[in-house]
Parts: sequence; C-alpha cells; structure tokens
Amino acid sequence: MGMLRVISKRGDDRLHWNEQDALAGDAEAIAAIREAERIFAHERAKGATAFRVAAGQPVERLEQFDPQAEQMILVPRVVGG
Amino acid sequence: MVEILISVSLGIITALVLVVLWRLALGSYLKWSEANRRANELLRLVLTSEQYRQLMRQGYLDIKSPRHSERVYRVPQRQGLVRVIEQGRRTMSLCLQPLEWVPDADMVVVHKLLIEADEETYLQTANKLAPI
Repeated sequence: MGMLRVISKRGDDRLHWNEQDALAGDAEAIAAIREAERIFAHERAKGATAFRVAAGQPVERLEQFDPQAEQMILVPRVVGG
Repeated sequence: MVEILISVSLGIITALVLVVLWRLALGSYLKWSEANRRANELLRLVLTSEQYRQLMRQGYLDIKSPRHSERVYRVPQRQGLVRVIEQGRRTMSLCLQPLEWVPDADMVVVHKLLIEADEETYLQTANKLAPI
C-alpha cells in the first residue's frame, strides 16, 4: 500500500493506493494513483516540498511522484518568519 | 401589546443569533481538534519512540544535523524559534513558518523532514536571529 499525506490546516489529507492492484490492471487502484499524482503535481506547483518516509530509513527529498513509495509527505511552502 | 410583541421578537432574534454563534464556535473547535488529532498521529509516525518521549517530557525535540556533527537543532513542541546548538552553546535562532497555518505537531514534522532531508535549503530559507 502506498500513501500520500498532504500537511495542511486540517492536519493532513491522506490518499491511499495499492500498487500491486494497479500493476494487475485494477481500474480503481490505477485511478487512485493518478489522483495522488495529480495532487502531488498540484501541491509541488504551489511550492510544497515532498519527502519519502519509510520505517527505519532516512528521510529522502523527492522531486518526482513515486507510486512505489510506502509513504510520501508533502509539506506546504515555508518562508523565513 | 405592541411593546410585548417587540420584546418577544427581540428575545427570539437574540436567541437565534446566540444559537448560530454557538454552532459556528463549536464547528471551528471540532475542526481544530480533528486537525490536531491527525497531526499527532503523523508526528508519532515520523518520530522514533525516544524522540516522541523527549518532545512530550521536555517540550522540545533535538534533531542532529546530518552535515555538522557538533550541531543540534532544538525544535519546540509549540510553534516558535528553533535554537541552533553547537558544542553545547546556542549559536543562533531560526524562524521558519508555512504560508498557511498548520497544527503544532505538524510544524515539528516539517522541521524534522526539512532538516534531515535538505538542511542547506532549510538554513537558506529560515530567518537567522542572534541567540536569545
């Protein structure tokens, strides 16, 4: 299972998908990945930064959507305060 | 008779306004509460057990610099300045905030992810202040 979390004033918005089902041609799983990819691109265009987070592994900054990532977190644009 | 009608009408209007205001306040509180619950869930996922304990007990989280072995970023539990500590001494404070409000727990996550994955950009973005 993959998950995209978008940090916002609501805490975080979450989108799940099943990579294996998508590879097997499941239309719903493919649609979920496409929707996650669309949100990823939209938030990145607004200045969000993306990270890949996996248990026991160092955090990694992402430039591209990765449907195989266990978990991606989008952080809203930050500025010096 | 007219005075009584006016008084009753004003009473009903006042009661209605109070009900609407109460519902708005309750709705805002519930949204805020749910946002904080979700943010805490994410915080627990991103932090190790040890880091989470430190944050709850001490009110801050120490994040080691990935590039400078003597540097630690002290991130507060509530939103505020991040202290930079080098060899046990505060060398500066950093101020960084998202364009839209996010819950306190999410802000701790934001600092952790940015510092650990892209420290240089983090430092370039933050405003640097003399230690206070």
